[in-house]
Amino acid sequence: MHLVELSRAEHSGLKINPDLAEASAARQHLIPIVASEFRKAATQYPIVFAKNPETGRFGAFVLNGLEPEENLFWSGTKLDVAYVPLNTRRQPFFVGTADASSGANHGVLCIDIDSPCLTASGQKSIVDADGSDSPYLKEILSIVDELVAGQKQTGSLIDTALSLDLLCPIVLDIVLQDGRTLYAEGLYSIDENRFRSLGKDKVEKLWNEGVMELIYSVIISTGQIPNLIRLRNERESLSRAWRDNEN
Amino acid sequence: MAHVIRSICIVGGGTAGWLTAGIIAARHRSEDGHGIRITLIESDTIGTVGVGEGTWPTMRTTLKKMGVSETDFFRECNTSFKQGAKFARWVTGDPSDFYYHPLVLPEGFPSLDLASAWMEFAEKRQDAPSFSNAVSYQEAVCELGLAPKLITSPEYAGIANYAYHLDAGRFVSFIRDHCVNRLGVHHVVDDVTRVVRSETGDIAYLETRKSGQLEGDLFIDCSGFRSLLLGETMGVPFVDCSDVLFIDRALAVQVPYDAEDSDIVPHTVSTAQKHGWIWDIGLQSRRGVGYVFSSRHTTADAALGELQAYVGEKPRSLQPREIKIHAGHRRTFWKGNCVAVGLAGGFLEPLEASALVLIELSAEMISGMLPATRETMDIIAKRFNATTQYRWDRIIDFLKLHYILSKREDSRFWIDNRDPASIPDSLKDQIELWRRRAPGDQDFTSNAEMFPAASYQYVLFGMGFRMDTSDREPNRHAGAVEQAFARNESLKIKWTKTLPNNRNLINKIKEFGLQKI
Repeated sequence: MHLVELSRAEHSGLKINPDLAEASAARQHLIPIVASEFRKAATQYPIVFAKNPETGRFGAFVLNGLEPEENLFWSGTKLDVAYVPLNTRRQPFFVGTADASSGANHGVLCIDIDSPCLTASGQKSIVDADGSDSPYLKEILSIVDELVAGQKQTGSLIDTALSLDLLCPIVLDIVLQDGRTLYAEGLYSIDENRFRSLGKDKVEKLWNEGVMELIYSVIISTGQIPNLIRLRNERESLSRAWRDNEN
Repeated sequence: MAHVIRSICIVGGGTAGWLTAGIIAARHRSEDGHGIRITLIESDTIGTVGVGEGTWPTMRTTLKKMGVSETDFFRECNTSFKQGAKFARWVTGDPSDFYYHPLVLPEGFPSLDLASAWMEFAEKRQDAPSFSNAVSYQEAVCELGLAPKLITSPEYAGIANYAYHLDAGRFVSFIRDHCVNRLGVHHVVDDVTRVVRSETGDIAYLETRKSGQLEGDLFIDCSGFRSLLLGETMGVPFVDCSDVLFIDRALAVQVPYDAEDSDIVPHTVSTAQKHGWIWDIGLQSRRGVGYVFSSRHTTADAALGELQAYVGEKPRSLQPREIKIHAGHRRTFWKGNCVAVGLAGGFLEPLEASALVLIELSAEMISGMLPATRETMDIIAKRFNATTQYRWDRIIDFLKLHYILSKREDSRFWIDNRDPASIPDSLKDQIELWRRRAPGDQDFTSNAEMFPAASYQYVLFGMGFRMDTSDREPNRHAGAVEQAFARNESLKIKWTKTLPNNRNLINKIKEFGLQKI
């Protein structure tokens, strides 16, 4: 990855193929999401919390696989899923955040000039012939705006959840159809028992802060875990059939 | 009518007093005020001893139970990680002579006996790894200066077992604030002018300079070496142990780091000297270094020379503080309605950091056994005394073990230490058993044990103790033993690659904090 600050003059000639953005997620089992995405994400993925390995601080993610580097939605050419997170769709653009490990400065829009999305056959440019922002760049900018605004809300959801001891570790201890076991640690979710035993004043606080619907999204989304197991089993039986055919 | 225990009065505001207050308050206070009322009186004219100190892993549970945040503890108390101790020059005195007493238990312990298997191997092979290196990955982690956990590890959870190094002065203020602000301990700053006893012999109340009379159903003596309540008032005599443990002086200095980002050594280093040994404890901002020695074997001036040779040029301007140590303890620890915790109960050289852990264990025991009435207190006192005496005896045995295994001949201090007349019979018996069988849980059957059998293994085999394995029964677990050695090797590779530099992690904890979960 090589991030440089986006310049409408310097980068006007770049040809970009946004369809390749999804390839960046091919080996991501966790993709960060922001609060405004929770409703849509919950219909497709388990939403989990996990710690940043550099700071130990919590972030919110969609879970794509049962092991590190596994994305069960990646078909080989695209993400086969009805909702793709903003953090994938914004590729190859980045915006610096306060604790980013990417090296981008806070609030500055950057482009990864090593990204495979930059290709001579790409159909999109960042500026139109008249030098104004292209509809494509406008869309990227609106995604980035949503991410920046959403990050703040996600942070306050996490702070609130931690202050009420609402987060709890979840351990995935899974037996696949072929008898193999998978064990995933380091994932956290909402502690439903604690959540349901909150007093009236705390519940009201959650309503007022607008995080109630986020919490329910997370709780409902855990129902997507069996779907990941189903996808994994399908993938295993496909590759078994493939091997058997070869023999 | 039964005399119900409703109030506890603690005398002394050092580490012992405040830790005891915190441990009892965390369990017995109640929001509605119906719990036990705890008052701590401390003088603002008497100082605390306050050198850098090492804890046991028990401190993690103690602080957690008190509701302390580990992040705050690192931010406020100059705290660093301690993963056991490295003993240098204890066996032969050579510069290359060292062994580890790590906090991680031997792989497979206690169900597998790796010690005997290691001994058989070491008898045959010159190039055999050290005992601690063969059975635990922690020596490798310590030698590389790594921390025992990750920034993603929750508070008080570790990857490798760990304890702390802390600044005693800051620790006292930190725990005091927590006790007063969060645990409802009543704090009286005043001098005790007289201790008044009732006709039953119990302590009735304390007279103070400004605060009138302080009453209590139970008095806890945390007054330090003076032992104001248990020793001076109740007349419990002191049992001197200097015939077993010769150390009676300490010279303590604070040594600055070369640079702000100098490595922090993640274990206590104890380096044997001609007439004692030097502790070296790395805190965040400085090292605490001290020479404990026997004044019957050398002079303070000669000791100072050895200390200066150890620390080098830097601290010459710093005046070392001399502390007198009386090795020993009170004959009983609980008499009537008075119980002593900390130095008021006794003191031993800090070779295995037993001071703070004894405070924790004593306070925990008082808290757990707290009698409902004065009438039942004597039963509890009897049990407390038996358990505490047992603990002191085990610590004395274990400290003495370090001395009798040394082969140093460079002074009377080391030679006298191996005089059989100075060795407790209980230790002699154990050594006889261990000549043919590795220390195991069968040797330590009390539920008040201080050191696990693993600790004895680390010291014995670290110091080159020979165990005769020729009459050993055929090993029925040979496969499992091989696997355990192999597992240790892979853990060593895994954790030396994964664990972060000690100072880096401490800096991150201060910047980002550890999560509670």
